Amino acid sequence: MSDPAARRLGVATAAELVTLAVLLGNLATVHWAPLASAVGPLHGTAYLVTAVLAWQLPLPRGVRLRALVPAVGGLLVLRAAARRAPGTAAPPSP
Amino acid sequence: MAAVLLSVHVVVAVVFVGAVTIAVSLFPRYAREALADGTGSGSSSGSISGSGSGSGAGVPALRLLHRVTRVYAVLSLAVPVFGVATASALGVLGNAWVLASMALTLLAAGLLAGVVLPGQQELLAAATRTLPAGGTLVAARARVARLAAASGAFNLVWVAVVVLMVVRPGSTTGV
Repeated sequence: MSDPAARRLGVATAAELVTLAVLLGNLATVHWAPLASAVGPLHGTAYLVTAVLAWQLPLPRGVRLRALVPAVGGLLVLRAAARRAPGTAAPPSP
Repeated sequence: MAAVLLSVHVVVAVVFVGAVTIAVSLFPRYAREALADGTGSGSSSGSISGSGSGSGAGVPALRLLHRVTRVYAVLSLAVPVFGVATASALGVLGNAWVLASMALTLLAAGLLAGVVLPGQQELLAAATRTLPAGGTLVAARARVARLAAASGAFNLVWVAVVVLMVVRPGSTTGV
């Protein structure tokens, strides 16, 4: 996964996961409403960006649609992409 | 909190969508230039490096404009997300002007993803490599005209959305 498109998808996926972790952490602990209001849209944006970036990758339609899975969609696409091109990717964790 | 969300929504709309509107309106002009360069230098330049065809700034400009359109279109996804969050915080999510703006935004997104970006890709391919099989310069010029029309329509839809945001017809806080 060294090509720029996949790296960008990795960044978007990380943003999606981090913002979701912040939201759930906030919900489970202090439940501070302004934080939820600020991070919620960021998570929504990261989700949409992940889906669009995954759609631009040269992968079968079914694989690209996995990006729509909430939270882990980007990871699913990246794992599938790594399996399809094992020579260029880091060894996939079994 | 609504003030923060609204500020982010407006800033992101100005910076990201603004960049897309400029890029899509400039692209057809440079596409014409690049196509003219490609055919003017005898064998249309097969160099992907963009060093072909002497004075022509067409192809590098086309690449940059396409890249700006593509990248900022993705970043622009933040605009409707923060817009919905703002509308929700203000309690106006069901208002007619908000729903109309959402519909127009969907239309603009469809135009950009379905017509403008594929059209730019086609013309970029035609300008950097040879013209596609059976593709004449006249046909390419026609494609540029169609892309220009679609790009103009995209920008007009955005103007309509901005006017809706400012006037807010039916709202008690309208101008």
